[in-house]
Parts: sequence; C-alpha cells; structure tokens
Amino acid sequence: MMSETKKFLKSFLYLIAGIIISLIALFILFPKLYEIASYITIHGLLATLLLTALGLISGFALGITLALMRIYGATELRWLASGYEKLLRGIPILVLIYIFLYGTPGLFFYIDLRYRPIAGVVLALGLRSAAYQSQIFRGAILSVSSGQIEAARALGMTGSQSFRHIVMPQALRLALPAWTNEYAVVIKDSSFAYGVGIVEMTKAGYDFGVAFRELWAVSLGVVTILYFIFTFPITRLFGEYQNKKLKKLGMGGGS
Amino acid sequence: MKREFVVLGMVICIGLGFGVGWFIPGLFAPTEGPSLLERIESRGYFLVGTSADYPPFENKTYPGAQIVGFDINISLLIANEIGVSLQMVDMDFDALIGACRAGQIDMIAAAMTYDPTRADELAASITYFTVTQIVVVRNDSVDFLDPITSLDNLTTFDVGCQSGTVMQTELEAIAGINVFPYARADLMMQDVVNGILDAVYIDGPILDASPDKEDLKIIYSSDEEPLALWTQLNEPELLYEINDAIFKAYQSGVYAELVNFWFGNVTT
Repeated sequence: MMSETKKFLKSFLYLIAGIIISLIALFILFPKLYEIASYITIHGLLATLLLTALGLISGFALGITLALMRIYGATELRWLASGYEKLLRGIPILVLIYIFLYGTPGLFFYIDLRYRPIAGVVLALGLRSAAYQSQIFRGAILSVSSGQIEAARALGMTGSQSFRHIVMPQALRLALPAWTNEYAVVIKDSSFAYGVGIVEMTKAGYDFGVAFRELWAVSLGVVTILYFIFTFPITRLFGEYQNKKLKKLGMGGGS
Repeated sequence: MKREFVVLGMVICIGLGFGVGWFIPGLFAPTEGPSLLERIESRGYFLVGTSADYPPFENKTYPGAQIVGFDINISLLIANEIGVSLQMVDMDFDALIGACRAGQIDMIAAAMTYDPTRADELAASITYFTVTQIVVVRNDSVDFLDPITSLDNLTTFDVGCQSGTVMQTELEAIAGINVFPYARADLMMQDVVNGILDAVYIDGPILDASPDKEDLKIIYSSDEEPLALWTQLNEPELLYEINDAIFKAYQSGVYAELVNFWFGNVTT
C-alpha cells in the first residue's frame, strides 16, 4: 500500500498531465486557439489571480473571525456575525463593487487613483467571501466530534489550548473541500472587475473579440477553457478527493 | 434585565457616534480644497476613461493591447498642456459617467455626444468633433424603400441602438418603437444584416467601421451632433485647460492633421 501522500501526488500528477496533453492536442489542431489563449493569459491572468488571492485571503481572515464569533462569542457578537452574513449574502457582487468605488468616493483616499479599482474590488470580494467562508468554518468547527474536546479537557488542556491544538487543525481539514468551492466562486467573481476598468481574463478575451470580430465566440470559449483549467484540478483534488479520504477516516461528511 | 439595557445603550451610542462622525466634520471642512487640476498636477498623471471598442475614436491594438485612437490623441494634447503624463482606463461605456462623477477618472474621452441630461451631471468641454446619427437598414429591406422623414416612421419596427446613448433615449421617447439596446455595436450590425432587426439607429462612424456596409443603406440622417469631453462639475481650472488645449490644436493645425489621420479626408 502506498502512503497517502504518494497516492495524492500520483493522482495530482495524472490529472495535470491529462490536462496538459489534452491542451497540447487542442492547440496543435487549432493553432488559432493557442494565439487567443496566450493573448488572454499575458494580459489578464496576473490580474485575475491577484484579485482572487487577495479576495480569498481577506475573506479567510474575516470569515474565521466571524465563525469564532458565532460559535464561542457572547449573544451580541453572535447577532453581529449572523447579521453580517445575512446582509452580505443578499447583495450582488457588482453592486458591492459599485458601492465601494463609486458610491463612497473618498473611501480609498490614501491609495493612488490608478490602484483604487483594485482595492475596491478586493474589498468587495473579501467581504462577500467572508460571509460564505464563515459558514464553512462554522460548520467545520462544529463537526469536530465532541469526543475530541472531552478527551482534550480530560488531559488537562484549557479551552483555548484544546481549540488551538485539537479542534482547529481538524476543522481546517474538514473545511478544505468547501473552501475549494469558495475559491472557484471567487475566481469567477473576479471577472466583475472588468466593469470598473481592470483588465483581467474576461476583459482580455472581450478585447480579443473586439479586435477580431469573427472570432468573438471562439475567444469566449477560450476564456471558459482557461477558467476551467484554474478551477477543475483544484476543486477535484482538494475537494472530492479529500471528501473520499475523510469518509475513509470516519471524519466529517460530504459537502 | 441589566444586560438588555447595556446592549441598548451600546447600540444608541454607536448610532450617535456614527451620526457625529458623519455630519460634524462636514461643518469644519475647509470649503476650498485643492482643485482637481492641482491634484492632477501633484499626482503626475491624467486619468482618462474610455470604452475602447469604438474605432477610430478608441480601439485596442493587437497583440500589444495599447489603447489608440482619435480620442486618445486629443487626451494626449490636454495632458501635455497640463504638463503630466496620460493614463487611459478602459471600461464599459455605461459605467463611465458614474466613474467620472465619483472621481475615479478625471475625464471621459469616449465620443460622447453633448446631451442636456449629461450636462446636468458632468461638465462638457467645447465641441471637438461632430458625428451624424443615422438610421440604417438592409439594402433589400421591403419596409423602407424610401428614406424616412422622421424617427416616428419607425413605429412598430424592431430598432437596435447602442445602450447608454442619446439614440436610445430618443427612440424610447417615441411610443410604439421596439427598442433593442446593445452593449456591442458589432453584434447589433450583424443582427441588422441578418434580418433580426429591422433597422438600427447609430453614429455615422459605426457604419463606416462595419464590414458589411455594402449591404446596408441609410434612410435617415440627423443633424450633426457635437461630441464633447466630459469632466467633473465645478472644476473651472481643469475645464479651462481642456478647452485651451483644443483651441490650440485647432489654431496650430494639429487638429486637422489628427482628423486626417484617423478619419481620412473628412470635412468637419
């Protein structure tokens, strides 16, 4: 029996290899697609990944805080966290972006004017993602079986010690599949940034479609393929694969 | 019992603090901040918004993804006049007005026609170009064998226009026309060529840029509509610089050169 890490790496490599081979075949058959894909990648990929990363990280920080507030906090904190979630889950992301960039013009007065759109989009993505991530982490922390906590207390650990050393690591692992789902959502939401002037993958594809009008639909197809490349391996590997492993270990459930 | 009072007290205090923080500083704020022109000069660059899918006014090159066009050259003249560099921002045409009002961009240079409702929201420069607005149909259209005299003749037909433009406002003001706003001009032109739309109401340059112009004919053209550059209201220093740059371009012959370069031999 191979070790778990080796099995994981093997399936990861197989998946990546499969994608690379099918891409190479696609681009050899249709060299135009390669041209479109390279244009979009050169001009849009960095912005997309930057917005996604910053949005996810700020959402993570705020989301964990909200989850802790809801589980361990006093009643008022629980109201705050729950109210925040309800509010943010109901606002469309484009409306949030417009609110932070155009509705409150002085908000980013300390940032250079050129980079304010990035700040506004990251704030909007982060706040929205925090609302969903708090749900993920709350569910994950609560599904760590209480037997673990009892055992930790029996060993003499204080509440916060048992949380830091026992509950949190298990909770993070349980949260991973749902978290990759959130990553897939955020990377696609980052495409809204094109409405405020940031050139990311969708806008680059649109620009290609404007320059070559007959290939407009093809450029959209290439944008789809690129987003797929960035979401499918991660959600497959860190999502479904993890779920199967967790079931084998008897922890947590599907999500 | 005591806890509820504490929470209620906290909520009231937060509300009070928010109100004080919101309104009081407004009373003490200096009425004269630095003007937009001074801020641009201290920043070192002039941020101009456009919608880069409208050649020859603005367009993105391939594969370099540079924004080029008539509007960009005009903006460059203004930036040189102020003494700063030029930065172009490419966004949706409909989002430009909101962005300029919020101060996210300093000026709009996107072949925006002068319109009184727009003039309420933003300050217009002097006219820097004119376009005619035309109604275009297929050459073999049976509904429109002769030219029409006014837009009212378009009732009961499916008419396309670009979203966010004065043409959309004019069409929607006439009851009975089925108006179809499009975000993209090239898709709209494809639809009229393919017979999905009966007619389109567009700016002249869109027909010139269309690859199917042989299949289309003009049945109505309006008077020349002036195009202006737009900036925030109550910024007379910046507006002065913009208008000054345009005047100097006319006087020095640079304007005629630019028009020749981007539009061929067009008399304006």
